[in-house]
Amino acid sequence: MARIVGGFGISHTPSMGMEYDKGMAKGFDPRWQKWFDGTRAVKAWLEKIRPERLVIVYNDHLNHFDFDAYPTLAIGVAPSFRQADEGWGPRPFPSLVGDVDLGWHLTNRLVRGGYDLTVCQDLAVDHGIYSWFPYLFDTPWDIPIVPLAINMVRHPIPTNERLHGLGKALGEAIRSFPGDQRTVVISTGGMSHQISGARFGIANEALDEFFLSKIKDDVQELVDIPQEEMMRLGGTEASELAIWFSMRGALSDNLVERHRYYTFPAITGCGVIVLEEKAA
Amino acid sequence: MSNSVPFNLDPPGTYIYTGEMASKGYQLTRFGLSLRKPANREKFLADEVGYMRDAGLSDAEIALVRTRDWTGLIQAGGHLQAMLKVAATVGQNLWHIGAHNAGMEVEELMKITPRKVRAVPGGKD
Ligand SMILES: [Fe+2]
Repeated sequence: MARIVGGFGISHTPSMGMEYDKGMAKGFDPRWQKWFDGTRAVKAWLEKIRPERLVIVYNDHLNHFDFDAYPTLAIGVAPSFRQADEGWGPRPFPSLVGDVDLGWHLTNRLVRGGYDLTVCQDLAVDHGIYSWFPYLFDTPWDIPIVPLAINMVRHPIPTNERLHGLGKALGEAIRSFPGDQRTVVISTGGMSHQISGARFGIANEALDEFFLSKIKDDVQELVDIPQEEMMRLGGTEASELAIWFSMRGALSDNLVERHRYYTFPAITGCGVIVLEEKAA
Repeated sequence: MSNSVPFNLDPPGTYIYTGEMASKGYQLTRFGLSLRKPANREKFLADEVGYMRDAGLSDAEIALVRTRDWTGLIQAGGHLQAMLKVAATVGQNLWHIGAHNAGMEVEELMKITPRKVRAVPGGKD
């Protein structure tokens, strides 16, 4: 049966991807240099732990879906996932490789287990994954992924409890997949930030550090915080932190924290935490 | 607008995108998202008003886009992510939207961002 060897939570932002491209071409802005240096340890951990599958819970920012039909919970089941054009043209990276068998397996388990996912056999992926993926995984990208997309762009968004439960069901589903693939579960969402209204640019580092300090051993305490409270203190888009509960839910309680880093380069709190299964 | 960032979710500090907003701004959002396609971006740039009429926007909505009234567009139900596509197409970016929302010049907003606050749940604001 497939084995979950660990997981990580990581922020995403469009500028994170653009600054990476600029930085690689002509040197990094000092504010972003810190973040790229701070995530080198994640890449090193991945090279050591050698995942054979990645299950990634993220959110689309109206770059693939639109409001004709916007799924609350969706899963991508396809051999590849192309990059979405967010309005300024795609960045020079290949498509992501998908695992159709694992995708259908997770779909069967999750839908039968009470999580009615919208199944996407064609899915373009935006900065939710593309902003951090290129500097954690060298090309050619050959580790197959299964992406799950969560609505974070229009309220009501799924509850913290629901996303934590989705993670638990996801963990069980992965662990029942035939084979012994080493699997890493990833959740990604911005930390404190707000990108509209007069509160644009709010930055609550204390809130983000608080979140990172609790997610391993006190996740229920975080799940119990009303989403409005996170938005009030950390900005409307801090709600995306709810996605991180799915990664945590998929892991056991027998974890070692391998890495944690946090900085606030521009508009969005940028944090990462790597949790490894002791049994891995 | 000063640099004080209130700890509440009321306008004009915050606009929460609800179902009501999505219905009110359905056409506007759909128009913005149509600019995900490069061919549509070219068509729009060649004839902004004609493109928007074809997209079914009202005169009031067209005027908001023509004046780059990002705050008005968000109040009219245009989703931020969709208005961002409009901004990108006309050579602006998130900072222009944010500065308009915050009632500042772009340079001014960039200078004071990140706008640091400190509070954790259960603590004092
Ligand atoms: Fe996001």
